[in-house]
Amino acid sequence: MLIITRKPGEKIMLGDDVVVHVMEIVGNSVRVGIQAPRSLPIYREEIWDAVRKENQAAAQATPDSLPTPARPAA
Amino acid sequence: MPLNFDSSRFGPLEIDADAVIEFPAGLIGLGGAKYALVATDPDAPFAWLHSVEDAEIALPVTNPWLHYADYSVELSDADTERIGARNPGELDVWVTVRAASELADFSCNLRAPIVVSKGRGHQVINEAPDAPVRAPLFPEPAAVQAA
Repeated sequence: MLIITRKPGEKIMLGDDVVVHVMEIVGNSVRVGIQAPRSLPIYREEIWDAVRKENQAAAQATPDSLPTPARPAA
Repeated sequence: MPLNFDSSRFGPLEIDADAVIEFPAGLIGLGGAKYALVATDPDAPFAWLHSVEDAEIALPVTNPWLHYADYSVELSDADTERIGARNPGELDVWVTVRAASELADFSCNLRAPIVVSKGRGHQVINEAPDAPVRAPLFPEPAAVQAA
């Protein structure tokens, strides 16, 4: 992992298109601004991780595991 | 024009090529760029969001309003822009279903609905309060008959 020290007001570039702007530090929180192409979704990591796990769990389902087992319209 | 793909669950499937949903950012944690909604029984409460590229990847999905009549989706400005739809009427909304051995343990993900608009799909983070990742699908199991 790359570790960089930045001061409020300074920025980090990820490639040419993504800017991470360290805006301010208040107590133990850092306010970060992110400029990215609109096609790039941005998530808080804990939410991303919860959704990732939920998607993976959902994808374990088999047709038999649903309350109304049904066959596809082939 | 028909499109054929394989499913580890259902065997060979054929859909209309126009029915393919492009996911520019994939599904969170699963990736994939092309999915199709495979309706099973038209009366069944579930459909399958099935990858057309990977026979193994399919998630049961449901209409959230069948289970939560007052469900709402609030999107960040960035997500609204990403989806590019102005009119909620142009959107179809699905939520993923986590199956379990007991009906009471089934849940759906109200926090990260799948929004489909004009052949494009996006899994988005719902900013509305009270939209849990695991909302019980059958909050009153006594009222639901197992098949």
